[in-house]
Amino acid sequence: MNFLKKLAPQMVAVAEAQTCSKSAIHTSAVCCRVQSGRYRITTKRNRPLTYEMANPPHYIGHRKSWNSWNTSTIKDGLRPSQTAIEDVFLRKFMTGTWHAMICSEVIIKRQHNTIRIAAIIRQAISARKMYFLIGYTEELLSYWMQCPVTLELQTVADKKDVVFKYI
Amino acid sequence: MSANLTRWLERSLHNCHATQSRTALRLFSGQQQQQQQQQQEVEEDEEFRVLNLRAVKKQVAARREIKRDPVPPPRSNRMAVDQDWTAAWPGPRSFHPASVPLPLRQGYTERGAAAPSKFANAELMKIPNFLHLTPPAIRQQCEAIKQFCTPWPKGLETEEKCKHHFPVEVVTTDFCHSLPTIRNPEARRVTVSLKLSELKFDAHAKDKFLRLVGERYNQETDVLTIVADRCPMRKQNYDYALYLLTACYHESFITEPWEETKSEADMEVYHFERNKAKLSAEAILNWNEAAGETKVAPSQGYAKSVEQLINEGENEYNIAKYKKEVLKMLNIPVAN
Repeated sequence: MNFLKKLAPQMVAVAEAQTCSKSAIHTSAVCCRVQSGRYRITTKRNRPLTYEMANPPHYIGHRKSWNSWNTSTIKDGLRPSQTAIEDVFLRKFMTGTWHAMICSEVIIKRQHNTIRIAAIIRQAISARKMYFLIGYTEELLSYWMQCPVTLELQTVADKKDVVFKYI
Repeated sequence: MSANLTRWLERSLHNCHATQSRTALRLFSGQQQQQQQQQQEVEEDEEFRVLNLRAVKKQVAARREIKRDPVPPPRSNRMAVDQDWTAAWPGPRSFHPASVPLPLRQGYTERGAAAPSKFANAELMKIPNFLHLTPPAIRQQCEAIKQFCTPWPKGLETEEKCKHHFPVEVVTTDFCHSLPTIRNPEARRVTVSLKLSELKFDAHAKDKFLRLVGERYNQETDVLTIVADRCPMRKQNYDYALYLLTACYHESFITEPWEETKSEADMEVYHFERNKAKLSAEAILNWNEAAGETKVAPSQGYAKSVEQLINEGENEYNIAKYKKEVLKMLNIPVAN
């Protein structure tokens, strides 16, 4: 008992020190940091940004609009998850099929049972190949999605045509 | 066997190397001859030339230029001012700058700078456009479907006439969405509403009907609303709602034997005819009358004022009316 009494102040001191250190160091992840869709300024100020990239996500609906248009995202919309997954697949297929040619985001608009995909394409290949790729993409996607898919492309001569600013 | 084979292979490989080195030698000698010829040429020209000790580099083959078809100018430049726009843009489509002869701009820029033009502008492609629904296009389509229209039925010109002939109102909702399915579980809901004054009731039936429908009746607007959503299909719900309406209406006219046992304590409203107030009033009015003479009944106005006083509660208006009726019934002149 005497021993315990002697030890007590030390214990208290140790306990206090522990609580202090715990409150002083914050070890959990920083939750307030938002980085997605934002681009760093380079030292040479030569990073090209499109209009879409130049406006961070909180400007969606103010300065820029959505890339996916469908009714799943409204309140009580049906199959939101399936639509999101399908959109990811469509985007991956587009960027892979039109490799290094898509200069903008892939815009997916759904109306009833049709899917309309819009994008800005670089004029890197001949018109004939482009027509083939359009047919190929529409055919395969409509087979997978089980609905008509339409490609609505706009072409630009150079990649720099879509650049909005350099940072 | 295998050892033999490998040996043979090695030998053949060796032979190969030998032939290659021989050809290389021959090449070297050929180069020497060329160089001698070139030196002679230089002496003849009598001009300084760069002494190239190393092997003369072969001319680098010029990069093959990729032949590109010339991109035609935007179609909108060639469009006539009075062209048929419905033919140029027949259906819903994402915006295309070369097809729209409008100097559109879209996008936010810093103050003073012009907004991004329509070319290579993804924002214009994102937003839904109604270029296919210009007033001429709508007019054209209306003209086209006119042949399928039937004339408006006679006698239903105004809203009142419609209400009179079709008192039951059925409300359903159709949902359009951008999905591979056309079904929506919310579409099954059916709302049937009608004014209760359209139905014919007697006092007992109306009371019973109101008790049966409960909260579905709105007293302020006199509208009965039946919402059916328990079946999976709209047709089933519609049938069920109409069945409910019919069943309630016919049920209200049936008087069950136990309904006769309703006592004064069960009454939901005060009835003058069934109560002591009527007897008391009659007793006062027929004071000292011999039996056999016609009894004087209390007036309708008095009965109504008593009912109002008890059903609606005591307020200034009801009490004043009651007082007036009592004075009138007892023939007491009002002292102003």
